[in-house]
Amino acid sequence: MSSSDTSFTEIPADGRHHVKSMLMRESLLDKKVMSSTETPVVRMLPFAHVIKVGGRSIIDNGRKATYPLVDALAAALDKFKLVIGLGGGIRSRHVTSIGMDLGLPTGVLAQLRIIDALGNAHLLGTLLAPYGVVAIPPEILGHMLPFFIKSAPGVICNGDPPFSIWEHPPRLGRIPPHRTDAGTFLLAECYGCATHTLIKDVDGLYDADPNANPNANFIKEITVSELKERNISTLPFDRVLIDLLACARQVKCFQIINGLKPHLLEPALRGEHVGTIVRQDAS
Amino acid sequence: MDKEILDRMTMALMGASPTDDEMMASLDNQPVVQILPDANVVKVGGQSFIDRGRAAVFPLIEEIVENLPRHKMIIGTGAGTRARHAYSVGLDLGMPTGVLSVLGFFVSIQNAKMIHYLLAKHGIPSIEPAQFAQLPLYLAERQACVSVGMPPYAYWQPNPAIGRIPPHRTDTGCYLISEVLGARSMIFVKDEDGLYTADPKKDRNARFIPKITVEELEQLDLADVVLERSVFELMKTAKHRRSVQIINGLKKGNLTRALNGEPVGTIISA
Repeated sequence: MSSSDTSFTEIPADGRHHVKSMLMRESLLDKKVMSSTETPVVRMLPFAHVIKVGGRSIIDNGRKATYPLVDALAAALDKFKLVIGLGGGIRSRHVTSIGMDLGLPTGVLAQLRIIDALGNAHLLGTLLAPYGVVAIPPEILGHMLPFFIKSAPGVICNGDPPFSIWEHPPRLGRIPPHRTDAGTFLLAECYGCATHTLIKDVDGLYDADPNANPNANFIKEITVSELKERNISTLPFDRVLIDLLACARQVKCFQIINGLKPHLLEPALRGEHVGTIVRQDAS
Repeated sequence: MDKEILDRMTMALMGASPTDDEMMASLDNQPVVQILPDANVVKVGGQSFIDRGRAAVFPLIEEIVENLPRHKMIIGTGAGTRARHAYSVGLDLGMPTGVLSVLGFFVSIQNAKMIHYLLAKHGIPSIEPAQFAQLPLYLAERQACVSVGMPPYAYWQPNPAIGRIPPHRTDTGCYLISEVLGARSMIFVKDEDGLYTADPKKDRNARFIPKITVEELEQLDLADVVLERSVFELMKTAKHRRSVQIINGLKKGNLTRALNGEPVGTIISA
């Protein structure tokens, strides 16, 4: 594929002024053209690990859930470069319910929810400040991430993707589908990070809600197509992650671990199986 | 809604399973408000329109100005041939989809700036995503506003199922603005009359389709379509904007008629 010749071209009987390139004049909507763009991707941060820390499951529980995890994160920061995304927790749920009652659309709710996750990022950032790890505003996180992660042992950010008012309306209701589990996954995928770990207050995935159903069975490992087939009604992660994982090119699995058992963090970062691993189908 | 139901909704949202789609939807009873029901979103194509230069752009600018007394317009811009060039070079260099999305955004910004300067003497401002809160004021004061068409997903752009090109580009970005604002219409200005059974620039036997549903479109399974496929997906779950029109902006009067609600191109609905 050569795109070195960048001469300006005008094609007779076209009227559009083109710049010569592989995709010149092509409809980017043509399936054949789309297939031709299936090329290898560089990994920007293969040494970094992305973690999503639950808002409701960890931070909202205050000192008793958060402090032990902070200790585990501090210990891990000696050995691993961490990108830590936060969820919005109970305040996100509250602003969502008020927003829904006021009739506000999905995109506005997404914009509101980012603010709660950012608040939690600042809470965790304060606790990890002694280790040089602070919350980075979303406006500069994206392209500055490589610089920050080389300069500090880790960074903290709000987990949401910057979809804001461009959030997709979901199939049912109006709750933004791309929340903090999805946002941290997309970031890990784009940067080609080593692992993506979701820290929750359950051991992982069950075939039913373990809080409501004591007979729920633990699922140690599952693939995208098995998840779609079983159609489990309660997932401990954003449902849209199933589709995002199916299209991933770099991060081909993620793990859910119990943050109330902070000793599981380091093994998870080493790639050990200590929670539920959700995998892309084997190709 | 009385306080008790509101509390129940918050409690349900706080439960361990905000992914219980059905339960959440059952609590979501209020209609979605139309934030700017009088605004029309007009997307000006990149490759199909702005890349044609003065011959195409000037008459369209004139027509936009003529319509200012009667219609509010949010004018979004496509990216076009420079995005294709940036994508080509980027693909060759191994860029992931999220980085290509950043590059596409930059080209869409260039086009927005050019359209903005051509409309500037009429007091029309231009905004980037961070300035969206000013949009209602600009529409109230000046009737129109230019906006970058690309959604600001940047490094968080989801991968496409096939290939590397960002699946949510300027058609999708403009469409989502029309959906979230509950806008009056979504008009895509291109250089073809609308949707054909094949790319009319390459296939002389391509047949024109004046009206079609997303479902019918999916059954046809065309190799090439006139809008980004993610627009069709989103239309199916949209709360307000369930139809869009694609028009040929090279034909004088089409934009005016489309703004007046007339069918002049292809209407796709869900």
